[in-house]
Amino acid sequence: MTSITPFGGFGLGLRKTHYSDFIEGQQPVDFLEVISENYMVDGGKALRVLEDVRAKHPIIIHGVSMSIGSAQGLDSDYLDALKRLEQRIAPLWVSDHLCWTRTSAHNSHDLLPLPLTRDALDVVCANIDRAQSHLGRPMLFENPSSYVTFPQDELTEWEFLSEMTRRTGCYLLLDVNNIYVSAQNHGFAADDYLAGLPLDRVRQIHLAGHTPRGERGDFIIDTHDRAVCDEVWALYAKARQMITHPVATMIERDDKIPPLGDLLAELEQARSFSDEALAGASA
Amino acid sequence: MTASEQLLLAQQGFMAQVLDDDAPAPADWPADQNARLAAGMDVYRQNYRSAVVEAISSTYEQTQKWLDQGVVDGAFQRAAIHHVIAHPPAGWTIDDVGAGFETTCLQLFPDDRAVAELAWLEWAMLGASRAAEATPLTPESFAQATAEFGDEDWAALTLEFVPGIAARTLEHDLHAMWQALGSTPFERPPTALEIPRGCIVWREGERPTFLMVDAANVQALNAARTGMTYAEICVMLAGADADEQALQEAAMAAGAMLGQWLQESLIVGLNA
Repeated sequence: MTSITPFGGFGLGLRKTHYSDFIEGQQPVDFLEVISENYMVDGGKALRVLEDVRAKHPIIIHGVSMSIGSAQGLDSDYLDALKRLEQRIAPLWVSDHLCWTRTSAHNSHDLLPLPLTRDALDVVCANIDRAQSHLGRPMLFENPSSYVTFPQDELTEWEFLSEMTRRTGCYLLLDVNNIYVSAQNHGFAADDYLAGLPLDRVRQIHLAGHTPRGERGDFIIDTHDRAVCDEVWALYAKARQMITHPVATMIERDDKIPPLGDLLAELEQARSFSDEALAGASA
Repeated sequence: MTASEQLLLAQQGFMAQVLDDDAPAPADWPADQNARLAAGMDVYRQNYRSAVVEAISSTYEQTQKWLDQGVVDGAFQRAAIHHVIAHPPAGWTIDDVGAGFETTCLQLFPDDRAVAELAWLEWAMLGASRAAEATPLTPESFAQATAEFGDEDWAALTLEFVPGIAARTLEHDLHAMWQALGSTPFERPPTALEIPRGCIVWREGERPTFLMVDAANVQALNAARTGMTYAEICVMLAGADADEQALQEAAMAAGAMLGQWLQESLIVGLNA
């Protein structure tokens, strides 16, 4: 399996509301990330837009439906469709989430949590081996946000991710907001999480906003519907200090999507936090 | 039981809880954490419901507008929830959550069958919007390709249509409904057709579009899509026990339909 060369830069998720901004103008982003499933089609406008944008910016394809934690294995049709997209777009890399989404009968279209057990790790690693072999390239997997933990858990999430990368050669998409959300929901220390990860495997960082505790019950919810909060910026700065190689940073917004200018301003904040963190790390 | 089988059972149980409030909690959940786990599960349940209902809403924007403005506010939301409860999604693409919504509308609004026909149209438009690219034959290129055709070639002619094309007969005037839905203020037009008509849906460039035609046109088009030859289509249009004059009239009608399909850029290939 080949390796993924670190790529440093700052990018956004491409969303329909901003199609014309990216097609008609030149925007100050180093890459764009797209949701794979939106473009795993035979033809039409979405694919044409993606190819037009691809001519201007490197693309990352980020999936939500691979279901890498499914005990029943991966969906062959899904893998074939993803490979067709990967070959068409030649992305920087292909990513998905450490989660499961479906059984043979149903699909939740949500990122459901895995028990952090050695048995589940075996299933995940076997599925990653199959996906990477099918695509012919290593993938990135994102740490999820979660709202339940399981009584049978044997590992912490960072131990699970560490073992997963060691066994499969996959890389990590570090969602800093998800670390914060899960730390708050489950009562672990975000610093322990960062310290326990194989940070040399991180190739991308996601930043996003969340719904605070109390707005939708007793949990912090990973909603991607608002700006990044101060606590997550602080965690990002810490992560950036600890990751010494170039890494791609991205702002994710999936709901209540503002004008592109607002997201570019938020991306500029990420640049500033990153620059300050790296300057502090080397001082 | 293997570890993988145990995980599969646990995932099936978890999925059951996501889909159904009343599904039992796993037996191994500790009693002292039950309330916390149930609250966490409720987050997943809400995420699932909002995602699938939003997906249906996104596919069926016009049907939603028709129902909510013309029937009862909130009718669409209730229909969407009913649909996902009756037909929980199975496929990997969330767009497919809306599959079969036309039938759900037919069941829920039996006295307003226009709703189901509008839903059919929107589903067909979604299919056309993501279909493969293809270069249609122009009337000129078709004429060139058939210039040397003899009677036998014409009789054996079969056609290939643009990917994603759909066609059916309708009892309601979808064209009038679509126009009304695009107008402000919305006024519900008369929808019932005196005689059933046909509707053809395809993608024109990047934009899904539709055309109301005679029912016979749709009958011929769908027959051609199944591989029926031009001669067989003429016989079908003429009807059983047709005399020579009826056959000639059917041949002329088929010719006119073929001309219209070419004008609308619906044909991508021919075989003889």
